[in-house]
Amino acid sequence: MIEIKNLKKIYNGITVVDVPHLVINKGESVGLVGNNGAGKTTLFRMILDLIRPETGEVLSNGEVVAGHENWKTYTASYLDEGFLIDYLTPEEYLYFIGGLHQQSKAMIDEALSNLGDFFNEEILKKGKYIRDLSKGNQCKVGVASCLLQNPQLLMLDEPFANIDPSTQFRLKNMLKDANKNKGITNIVSSHDLNHITDICDRILLMEKGVIIKDIATSSSTLKELEDYFGVGQRIEEPVPFVLKIDEEENH
Amino acid sequence: MVSTFFGHELKAFWRSKNTGKSIAIRVVMGILILYLFLNVLAIGIFLDKMLEAMFPNEDLVKAFCGIILIYFLFDLLTRLQLQELPTLRVQPYLHLPIKRDSFVRYLALTAAFSVFNLWPFILFLPFVFKIVAHDSGSVVALSFVVAIAGLTVFNNYLALYIKRRSNLNGWVFLISAAVLGLIIACDFKWHLFSFRDISYAFFGHLITMPALALLPFVLALVMYYFNFYYLKQNLYLEELTAHKIKSYKSSTDIPFLARFGSVGDLAANEIKLILRNKRPRSTLIMGLFFMFYGLIFYTNNHYGQSWYIFVGMFMTGIFIINYGQFMFSWQASHFDGILVSKINFIDFLKAKYLLFTIVSTVAFFLTTPYIYFGWKRLLVHFVMYLWNIGVNTTIVLFFANRNAKRIDLSKGASFNWEGVGATQMLLSLPLILTPYIIYIPFSLFKQDNIGLLVLALTGIIFILTRNFWLKKLEEDFMQKRYQIAEGFRNK
Repeated sequence: MIEIKNLKKIYNGITVVDVPHLVINKGESVGLVGNNGAGKTTLFRMILDLIRPETGEVLSNGEVVAGHENWKTYTASYLDEGFLIDYLTPEEYLYFIGGLHQQSKAMIDEALSNLGDFFNEEILKKGKYIRDLSKGNQCKVGVASCLLQNPQLLMLDEPFANIDPSTQFRLKNMLKDANKNKGITNIVSSHDLNHITDICDRILLMEKGVIIKDIATSSSTLKELEDYFGVGQRIEEPVPFVLKIDEEENH
Repeated sequence: MVSTFFGHELKAFWRSKNTGKSIAIRVVMGILILYLFLNVLAIGIFLDKMLEAMFPNEDLVKAFCGIILIYFLFDLLTRLQLQELPTLRVQPYLHLPIKRDSFVRYLALTAAFSVFNLWPFILFLPFVFKIVAHDSGSVVALSFVVAIAGLTVFNNYLALYIKRRSNLNGWVFLISAAVLGLIIACDFKWHLFSFRDISYAFFGHLITMPALALLPFVLALVMYYFNFYYLKQNLYLEELTAHKIKSYKSSTDIPFLARFGSVGDLAANEIKLILRNKRPRSTLIMGLFFMFYGLIFYTNNHYGQSWYIFVGMFMTGIFIINYGQFMFSWQASHFDGILVSKINFIDFLKAKYLLFTIVSTVAFFLTTPYIYFGWKRLLVHFVMYLWNIGVNTTIVLFFANRNAKRIDLSKGASFNWEGVGATQMLLSLPLILTPYIIYIPFSLFKQDNIGLLVLALTGIIFILTRNFWLKKLEEDFMQKRYQIAEGFRNK
């Protein structure tokens, strides 16, 4: 599905992403974890041809992403609120996105009716523009617009960050269902290690732009990740506190 | 504490992305502000001469006293329109252990730092020092200064008070605007009372009784405390923010555009963008005002046909110029979304052409009443309409590919320099010059009509070859899109 070759992104002399080679196969469910500034969002953006890498390329279904538009027909993504047209109502936006994929209003309504639980009556027919919704509800609109597109590849950047616990569980089930039953390839990043090990078959751990671990999820994966992130450390060993400027949020 | 706030405020000003723009723009801005300042100053200095010319049979001081209150009446109206509330910036302090009083004092004090408070002084003080001080002595002059200062401060806080109240309840604004309108109408239309007389009654007495100057001073103090206590009572986030209370927003369709397929959808989105956001909306409304441009030029025989080209271009194409100069910045906040979704860039551009064509066509029909000045005027409008939708749209989109400045849609248009860059300055040159480059040679040989014909033909050729230009613009965009998207991500 996705093949990355020799991909590098450098900001002000600092390499923020450096992925020599990575293959994500069709039907895989991949989780991306790493601390702030590890390069997750930058990697996502390069896969989506939003920023130009210094070297290397991303291939989607064997075709280079940059300069081509075929991948847009089967790729759905939601990275941040910058993906939403915020002066539209959620309905208008979802009809617009559906319309881009030649779906009629009736088809979209049908698809949305399945998302009733996920929306929890907070999105549709509320008489609000997207810009007036809370961050969590904006995230729901973004995720819904992705599912609406019936993609083969689904990319979400920290979808669990702003949504309530019930919605987190629903989203987890939806992502599992999309992957197991519809064969959609998922690439999801998250800081929630429980969720990510729960939904993903494969975990990529990034540190300073490099993928330092590529693990097939097993019962010991969560433990392994917790050890890496220092959750399992005892109190006698103080966690070194490093103040780091958050690359992702600082764009 | 107030000085700390003030220090932060200065930092916010100097470090904001808006201020950190290129030197060239700062120089241009500086010159513009200086120009405005000098103009007002000149009016102030020559106010005595102007008043003599306007009221030749009246005593100079009497005429002066008559206009002061009228000025403040209109001052209040402009303030209600344009003065910004110094509010949102307190958000990061609200939860900190800081006394409410110091906050409110800071808010109330910074409200006094507004350009609006400068004008009355520049306008009236030269006259006070030149004439009043000369005629009636320095004590009276001082009382005039105090009275004018008092009225300025009073107006300042009254306008802010009304604006604050209307944030909570939209009717307050409408009612106060209506009351002001009614007062003005009572005076100037129905002559029920005369503001000049009232103004004279007060300022005239000031000459004999300088102590009266304390009255506006006290009024100003009262208004300040009114504001102070109101703010103190209502220092909550939702009440401070500039948002109006939200009504139910319904989804709308534009059926006419549905027939254009996804291009129509994109154009419909952009129309919603314009109507639902403050700044593009005011751009559109400004465009409507340009429809009166013809009245200035056509009623005056001084201007010949070469001016009509200019007038015609602006009336039928002001939207293309004013809105188009900031493309694609309007969509900066969701540009990433556009790039990753299944939108063909050619369609994206076609939607822009469609939007421009619709608005220009409407504008052209709105100018048809100018046929009153002769059918030739309308012909020029039509030629320039063709020129606008043919040539100017393409020029504007060419420059749109070179513009990577983010615009925050929710901010108002007045005094908003966000998104202004070298592109906008450069853009105006080809827009204004090219029609003349074509027209002037013919005009010099007295072949104006052929000149018009050539303009029209150029417009038509550009319309017919649109697909070619679309292709070129797309190739151009494909090279520049990373830069554009990067720029738009920079908040």
